[in-house]
Amino acid sequence: MHKIIIPRFDPAMKTGRIIKWLKSEGETVNKGEPLLIVEGEKTVFEVEAPANGILKKILYQAGSEVEVLKPIALIGEANEPIPQELIEEIEEKVKSEIKAEIIEKPKIEKPFIKTVERVKASPLAKKLAEEYGINIEEIKGTGPGGRITKEDVLNAIKKASLKPTFAEASISGLKPIPIAKTIPLSRIRKTIAERLVYSLHKAASTTIITSVNLENLLKYREEIKSSLSEVSLTAFIVKATAKALEAHPIFNSTLNEEEIKIFEDINIALAIHTEDGLVTPVIKNANKKSIIEISNEIKELTNKAFQRKLSIDELTGGTFTITNLGAYDVELFIPIINPPQTGILGVGKIEKKPIVINDQILIKPTVALTLVFDHRVVDGVPAVKFLQEIKHFLEDPKELN
Amino acid sequence: MRELTYAEAIREALRNALIKNPKVFLIGEDIGAYGGAFKITNGFLEEFGPERVRDTPISEAAIVGAAIGAALMGLKPIAEIMYMDFIPICLEQLANQAAKIRFMSGGKLKVPIIVRTQYSLGRAHGAQHSQFLPAWFFQVPGLKVVLPSTPYDAKGLLNQALKEENPVLYIECSLLYRVKGPVPEEEYSIPFGKADIKKEGEDVTVVAISRMVHEALAAAKTLEENGLSVEVIDPRTIQPLDIETIVNSVKKTGRVVIAEDDHKTGGIGAEIAASIIENAFDYLDAPITRVASPDIPIPFSPQLELEYMPNKNKLIQAINSIFKG
Repeated sequence: MHKIIIPRFDPAMKTGRIIKWLKSEGETVNKGEPLLIVEGEKTVFEVEAPANGILKKILYQAGSEVEVLKPIALIGEANEPIPQELIEEIEEKVKSEIKAEIIEKPKIEKPFIKTVERVKASPLAKKLAEEYGINIEEIKGTGPGGRITKEDVLNAIKKASLKPTFAEASISGLKPIPIAKTIPLSRIRKTIAERLVYSLHKAASTTIITSVNLENLLKYREEIKSSLSEVSLTAFIVKATAKALEAHPIFNSTLNEEEIKIFEDINIALAIHTEDGLVTPVIKNANKKSIIEISNEIKELTNKAFQRKLSIDELTGGTFTITNLGAYDVELFIPIINPPQTGILGVGKIEKKPIVINDQILIKPTVALTLVFDHRVVDGVPAVKFLQEIKHFLEDPKELN
Repeated sequence: MRELTYAEAIREALRNALIKNPKVFLIGEDIGAYGGAFKITNGFLEEFGPERVRDTPISEAAIVGAAIGAALMGLKPIAEIMYMDFIPICLEQLANQAAKIRFMSGGKLKVPIIVRTQYSLGRAHGAQHSQFLPAWFFQVPGLKVVLPSTPYDAKGLLNQALKEENPVLYIECSLLYRVKGPVPEEEYSIPFGKADIKKEGEDVTVVAISRMVHEALAAAKTLEENGLSVEVIDPRTIQPLDIETIVNSVKKTGRVVIAEDDHKTGGIGAEIAASIIENAFDYLDAPITRVASPDIPIPFSPQLELEYMPNKNKLIQAINSIFKG
């Protein structure tokens, strides 16, 4: 008997939501065949059958939010009985569900069974409050006999969405700022919000900036372009960073309570902006790949990101992140660390600037690199050395291959 | 479009049927020589002769019984019961015979009769000549119950009744006989079970039956001047009842008031309210309210009768009561 579990798509993922079962109980399934669709924190994935057999039992129906690694279904032979321990596990789950129901029920019915101060609300008001997760007991009814109406709930929803803004916290007497539109957070937006606030609160983010002369690199890029297809500047930066990480592995790490864990592989996550929001597909073992390979991989991942086709594998396992806003006419900017990583490199636009070389003012193409790192893990001078190493590779690109 | 009164629209549909279909005949009290208690059939005896416009003795049981027999033999009788209050006398014929024969004969026999009647609430005709009793009949499977509120609906629904193969109870309202409205000259029919949104609105749905459609439209006009938008729905037939149109409206407005001349207890409004709760509970933002007649015999005194009757003001009060705290 094989258990199907909710896989962990991402180190930060805690639960997955079952969108749809593609097979039903009793159906024959082949190994590798998609069984169900699960929504992770950032993308929707198909979970494949781990073995040939019959889908014996579905433990969680579509719509369920299930912790990662928890069994959600069983695959076995046609006449293979479900083993005792699995039966117990299922019963445990059913029991806990029943328990949860019993615990939850009075909570829902509270307004109805209270005899002293019964909350009067219209069915529509109750339904709306439930949909928006608003506690109906906290709403003051303005309908006949103090009944809570749809309008009262809508007002409460409006008020609740004002709360985090300055409007609500404004000095008394000031008018609240009118709200034009309220946008509920999408799952991907929510994940981004949670992770970045976590990053801001936890990491001791420190920033250092340097300017790089790209004259040699642009020439070198022209050289290799003639023989092969065009190579993106980002590919050079990915490769340079990966090589620099080989020499400065402390930046290829994560801080876990009281330990710093250095990652074995150097996997560069690349921030890509899509309509749905930011995604960070990963170039695995970037230090071991050629610039051409990296450049092609970036093109492929970017296309997939736009088509929302990135796989779990392509989205996970990053150990260091690079974010390039050069295409958007940005001189320099300070990015935010992508947890649980230790560092992130921000890349601005290539710009011709007067720089002084051997007491002469020369116009050269330059780019600003911003390294943001977690000062809990490593100090300023090693960070400077790491950034200089990246700069060195970019100014002398022949050393890269 | 030309305008006809409600009475003229009914008269036109009846006359056209007599001209077009030789199987159609009218039967009832005082419909021939006297021209009908409300003059709907005035002149028909001269035009179509006593075979097709038949005066009867004062026996409602005989009128409907004879109509059923004629229908079984292939004719299309239109019986008239002068006052709805007299229907209990032919209840056996209507509920036990007309409504059942097709089912009990396994579909071999048909009773395509039309029973026309009217209610005279508001004319000081007393407790035995004023009653509105549709709820007695929409509960009988096999009967169709039709309640036109406008001249247009009166003609269209009567034409539909003429096509029906099952017994139809067609209930007129004598207070509406002089109401005028547009009626096309050509023949048209209105399908049963299709409610009509007499006026669109956003804030509250009023489901109004027969005469109350006009009170509801008047109330809507007054309320609209005060910024409240009222949707008025006329079911037109209560058996079959178009609950879908009502539910869709309630989904939009969240509030519903039912206006009917019926007694409140066990009336049409009670059935409509229950159906709304079954189909649109989560959309209700206020209790369903009924404006209906009280559960007492109708007073003879015109002053008391006016107090007794549901009207525009009572409807406005009811609508206000579900809005204001």
